[in-house]
Amino acid sequence: MELLNIYNYFSEETVHQVLRIALIIAITVPGLFLLRGWARSFFTKKYAPHYGMLAGKVIFYSGIIIMIVTVMGQLGISLAPLLAGAGIVGIALGFASQTSVSNIISGLFLIAEQPFKVDDIITVGTTTGFVMSIDVLSVKLRTFDNKFVRIPNETIIKTEVINLTRFPIRRFSAKISVAYKENVEKVRSLLLEVAEKNEYSLSEPEPQVIFEMFGSSSIDLDFRIWAPVDDWLLLKDTIQEEVKSRFNKEGIEIPFPHVSLYAGSESKPIPVQMTQLEPEARSEKEGKA
Amino acid sequence: MDQQIWGDVSIEDGAVRYFTLGNLHLWLKYHNKEVWIAHGYSDNFEKKPKADAPPKNHDWSRWAHKLGSGSLKILPVFPDMPLMVHSEYELKVSPQTHIQIFTRIPVWVRICLSKNNYVLVELPTIKLSRTWFGSPVEGELCYHATTKARRDLARVEQKPYLVSCPISITNKSEGELNFERFCFRVERLSMFEHASDLWADETEILYQGGDSHSEVIMTGKLPKGMSRKNLLTQPRKKIKVSLATRTFKRFFRDLNLLGH
Repeated sequence: MELLNIYNYFSEETVHQVLRIALIIAITVPGLFLLRGWARSFFTKKYAPHYGMLAGKVIFYSGIIIMIVTVMGQLGISLAPLLAGAGIVGIALGFASQTSVSNIISGLFLIAEQPFKVDDIITVGTTTGFVMSIDVLSVKLRTFDNKFVRIPNETIIKTEVINLTRFPIRRFSAKISVAYKENVEKVRSLLLEVAEKNEYSLSEPEPQVIFEMFGSSSIDLDFRIWAPVDDWLLLKDTIQEEVKSRFNKEGIEIPFPHVSLYAGSESKPIPVQMTQLEPEARSEKEGKA
Repeated sequence: MDQQIWGDVSIEDGAVRYFTLGNLHLWLKYHNKEVWIAHGYSDNFEKKPKADAPPKNHDWSRWAHKLGSGSLKILPVFPDMPLMVHSEYELKVSPQTHIQIFTRIPVWVRICLSKNNYVLVELPTIKLSRTWFGSPVEGELCYHATTKARRDLARVEQKPYLVSCPISITNKSEGELNFERFCFRVERLSMFEHASDLWADETEILYQGGDSHSEVIMTGKLPKGMSRKNLLTQPRKKIKVSLATRTFKRFFRDLNLLGH
């Protein structure tokens, strides 16, 4: 029985100290997880998902720091020399981690400015994807082909960011080219009819057909149609196909680039001379081939 | 083909019931303790569909339920979003004037289980295009409909897929009200049956003028000669006594002016 008595190995004070520390950790850690979950759901519901994520992290890591300080107090470790040391180390780290600090400050600007939220679709440079999280150092995106992209906050602050889902409706502009021989008024009314029948296009804002320019091989029109932001891709996919099939049905020509060659003045046709090889020369040529 | 569509429908095992209403063609079947539903629209059929089965490119949807019976209830309901109603001819209401107009809008068909009213599916009788009510930055999605804004429905041809909605408009402003289009929040209306016609309770709009919000009151009043006993469906959303909201349309002037 003497073997099992813990006080034979450790002093009573040490055992009590260990028990106190274990108790602090046992109470704090689950409590912090619960608090983080509550903060996430509360701020997500009340404000936006990224505020929820941020509040959860702030509460969790602040709690962890307080717990570590408390445990250190229990172990009798004074914070004063640590803080003094931290000051010196901080200066050294400050020089070494300028990028990280810049990212943290950029992150704060992002949170304050709120150019996008979690679940928005954004384009940064050449990358487009759903915002998964807005963190202290970076923003995480999931691209449409399911790649994970981490973009440092500093890059986002410096770069043009396009938020594709900020507003509830979006316009799609289709560049439509028709041959010069076509009646533009007829083409315009056909396009508006296609827009009216399309499942995803909105009646208002009204679809528009703008005469863009006299192109080198065609008359170029800008066909503008609006759709709810969630249906924009479906609109883009369907309306162009519908325009093509309607043009085919109505015999409207969609021209390909072509060049007319003229020789001499006032569009005189290019003179073409028909030549016929002599029979001897032909047989010689065929023999070589 | 069954013409009388509203009410209880009992389908025997293996039997098919076929209904048409507006552009909607509907097939109902009870098979192996499952309810089978198929539907299509007149525009999508090359030739007239047969009553015993939907065309090949229109598939059945199946519902398995614990009640295991072919007893269904078919009810008319209002569309699931507000309607942006355009007046076919411009109607101008002078200041301090009160008028009543009638608008008729296509109903949706709700199919539910008779015993517990569990909704299986809701289908529009006429497919309406969608439109946006508001600015490009905020607003709401609506269906687009046109109305003749009639003052009297006495001589109008009966159409079983249309519900007649009485709307009274009071122009309380000092300016003229151009009744060209308005947002009709049908989700707060009930539907009644009267002499084989579908009717809604009255909506009252008090126009305050300019950009001020108009007051929309669901009065719950029924046209003369109608009784609450003939209630077919309750509103989709609970009726509030009144609703201060934007009702008349401001155009997308900014977009058109900029030309972008």
